[in-house]
Amino acid sequence: MTDKEKGLGNLYTPVSGIYKHREWRGLKDTAYDYAKWCELWGILLKWALGHPVTNVKAIFRYRWMFSYLTVPGFYDRIMEGANGAALRASRNNMNTLAVSVTQLLDDLFEADMHLHKDSEAAKAAGEKILLVDELIPSLIFRGFPTLRTILQQQIPEYLPSLINCHSPDHYIAQSESYGLPADVCPLPSTELGIAIDDDYPLINAKCFVSCNMPCDGSIMTSALQDRRYNLPTFPLNIPLRWKNEETFEYAVNEVKAMIKFIEDHYDVKYDYNALREAVEIWNKQIEYRYEKWEFNRTNISPHTGSTLWLYSIFEHQVTCGLKESLENDEKVIKIVREQMDKGECPKTIRHRAVLWNTPANMYANFNTWILNCWGIDSVAEMIDFQGYDIIDTSSDEAMLRGVVKQIEGATMRVHTKGGIDVMMSDLWRKYEEFNGDMIIMFDQISCKGVGAINGYFEEEARKRGIPFVWVKQDLFETTSVSRRSMREDINNFMSLVMQEEPLDPSLVDFDDSECW
Amino acid sequence: MKDLKNIHFYEDLLEQANNQLVQQAKEEGKKAIGYTCFYVPEVLLNVGGAFSVRLRAPHTGSLDVSAYYMSSFICGYSRALVERAFEGGYNFLDMWAGTDTCQQMNRVVENVERFKLIDKPDMKFGFLDAPMKISDYGNKHYQTMIETEFFKHMKEIGCEITDESIRAAVKEHNEMCAIFEEISEMRKEANPRITSREFHILCLVSYACPTYLILPYLKETLEDLRNREADDKCPWRARFVVVGSELDDYVFTEIMESCNAYVVADRYCFGSMPGRKQIPLKDDEEALPQICRFYLEENMCPRFMSKDKINQRHDFAVEAAKEFNADGIIYEQAKFCDFWGYEKMLQSEMFKESSDIPVLQIDREYVISGSGQLRTRIQAFVESVEIKKIQGGAK
Repeated sequence: MTDKEKGLGNLYTPVSGIYKHREWRGLKDTAYDYAKWCELWGILLKWALGHPVTNVKAIFRYRWMFSYLTVPGFYDRIMEGANGAALRASRNNMNTLAVSVTQLLDDLFEADMHLHKDSEAAKAAGEKILLVDELIPSLIFRGFPTLRTILQQQIPEYLPSLINCHSPDHYIAQSESYGLPADVCPLPSTELGIAIDDDYPLINAKCFVSCNMPCDGSIMTSALQDRRYNLPTFPLNIPLRWKNEETFEYAVNEVKAMIKFIEDHYDVKYDYNALREAVEIWNKQIEYRYEKWEFNRTNISPHTGSTLWLYSIFEHQVTCGLKESLENDEKVIKIVREQMDKGECPKTIRHRAVLWNTPANMYANFNTWILNCWGIDSVAEMIDFQGYDIIDTSSDEAMLRGVVKQIEGATMRVHTKGGIDVMMSDLWRKYEEFNGDMIIMFDQISCKGVGAINGYFEEEARKRGIPFVWVKQDLFETTSVSRRSMREDINNFMSLVMQEEPLDPSLVDFDDSECW
Repeated sequence: MKDLKNIHFYEDLLEQANNQLVQQAKEEGKKAIGYTCFYVPEVLLNVGGAFSVRLRAPHTGSLDVSAYYMSSFICGYSRALVERAFEGGYNFLDMWAGTDTCQQMNRVVENVERFKLIDKPDMKFGFLDAPMKISDYGNKHYQTMIETEFFKHMKEIGCEITDESIRAAVKEHNEMCAIFEEISEMRKEANPRITSREFHILCLVSYACPTYLILPYLKETLEDLRNREADDKCPWRARFVVVGSELDDYVFTEIMESCNAYVVADRYCFGSMPGRKQIPLKDDEEALPQICRFYLEENMCPRFMSKDKINQRHDFAVEAAKEFNADGIIYEQAKFCDFWGYEKMLQSEMFKESSDIPVLQIDREYVISGSGQLRTRIQAFVESVEIKKIQGGAK
């Protein structure tokens, strides 16, 4: 058999991308992968059978619910080719994520007035839910232990966009048919489309906390969504020049005002002891993160790619300060430490790339593709570095200020706002720290804040003599830039500029236009 | 109607950012401070030996250089400013009062700063972070930012900033605004004695020139207008309020006029509402916090995300339409402007729910001249409101 005939590309059914059979990773790893795959099915079945009627109703009520049915396929895609610690860390991270998400679905559907019309029980359940914008990290809300914090857009919008790249298409079309220009970022556009379609679960919450993160589009979509939810709203206003110390007091005052707003609406008192307990867990989660980054600076780089950054985002925004998440972190750190102790790297690495700017949700397995096809390991990725300072818990005030810093470091916002240096200097720093040898820069075409400094990135990279490739993408939308065209950007760079041959020729070009 | 006495002079002043009056002020030793956004309190840049210039890029042609540095999905105004800066068009500036209010505009200033497009060793740049809602601590934050990002640099280039000098600047600013308030009233007339093109030009020169130098001319124009009589036959088929994003090219209003549409109220960036409203000052409180409060409370940028501000923007448009007897409202958006892209959609929706006022949504390029599409859409809107009038307002 030729290399092309043996390659991973032969696993796919053309166009749909559905696997013809499971991947062979060697006896031990295949067995591990299969066991964890069965565990995932167990998690999903447990959820499905927990409230079968409600869940079936949800599948028929919400268009985005279909995407969750494709989760096993999604997991296989983002772990393709992984062996050793990478496989084990990935499977553990993602299964932990599945447990959290199914729990969230249960909580959400229990209180959903769309699914339980006129139900007093659903109404009462809704009163215990605090709805907040998906870009606000949940850590601050641990001070309300009697309330269940739910990031409003995460379940219907953010996660489905990763799991099934076609999930946002309908909602984006809704926004555009409503009059929204097609050039705006698809993230806020999808959020809005879901609101227009009335596809957010209807929760009898007492208020909503919106925010101005990460960018201009999110500011504006908040205003429009606000009208749909029709709840008393606190628009949390985090300074844009957040690196400027002069702005910090404003952020602190805003967060304090938000706490007061929630206290008033829910008639509860903010509990600093509960917050402290969560922050102490969060500090440990952060320490493990530091350790993982340290490992990834070596030639072994035991756990990189989308299962790392996806989990990081989820942890920073949702499971921060939660015991269950920490337990998984402890398990995963053991796995990667073992790999480091062995001193072996179970993957073929030709290049150590730093990936910068927001990755494409619609191609979450891009990292596995560049590794398997060209041997490019994503040793550091911008999205993996949110606000990660250890928080001082010595006093309530110091702790609150630390948590405000963590909010300022929310996903994406931490780099795309705060001035040009925030995004630029950190890139060169990470390139050095992680011993990079190339930079893959996502050109998210509708992101105007980053697009407006494209030239500066290019000139600075040229000055430093760093191999630098642009990959065009549109975050949620495959209709404007396809996954195939993203691959083409890398293929052209690797073959024409770097003059290299692919590791796996079967992956160079294929049609996956209908793949989830 | 007879031409206004200074109108051709005003047109000349709008031919380039570094115009005759800007040059004169520079020769007199004043410091030029460029800015682009209402979030930057214009009046505070006209303090103690400095003067403000709201930046434009007249006669913009190719945007190739800026498209390379900024991508082609960035709004035309931002790209035009960078392109003009590459051409050396803003070399007369001593300071750029930038704002991180719109991400694209923020990047304009960062590009100009990083690429040293204004070739001056002591060129200053400030970046304002401004709140998106009203609160006491927000006002304090805004004030702190102005002090640390603008006043600090202004002092470094030799401007004297005291409560007295600020009050003097407000006095001069209010004198100019009083002129606009009186002229604006003339737009309420059934057959107005000022054309909307003329008003747009007056407004633009007031932003693009040093206040103290343009003021005498504006006084003359006011006198001229007081004595002016409109033609017997009113040429206007419809009257509109224009609301929207950055609009510094009066060709837009010329296109409106070519469709016999009259702009009765201008609530857009570079318009007179609220930019040419007098700032009330009390004597028993320092001027700076009062000015900051005024600029936040009057600000109608869609960037303000709280419900009260959204309603304020909506109510303002409704009231303006009533007060100026408008037949409809045009929401215009500079292409690729995220804020106004959402806002025009939001407000149109609110209008559908709350009133019968016809609303047109348009997007446009920065360079408007020769836009047949724009003309066609405005023409169609004029005709639709005329038909509505004939049908007695029936839907």
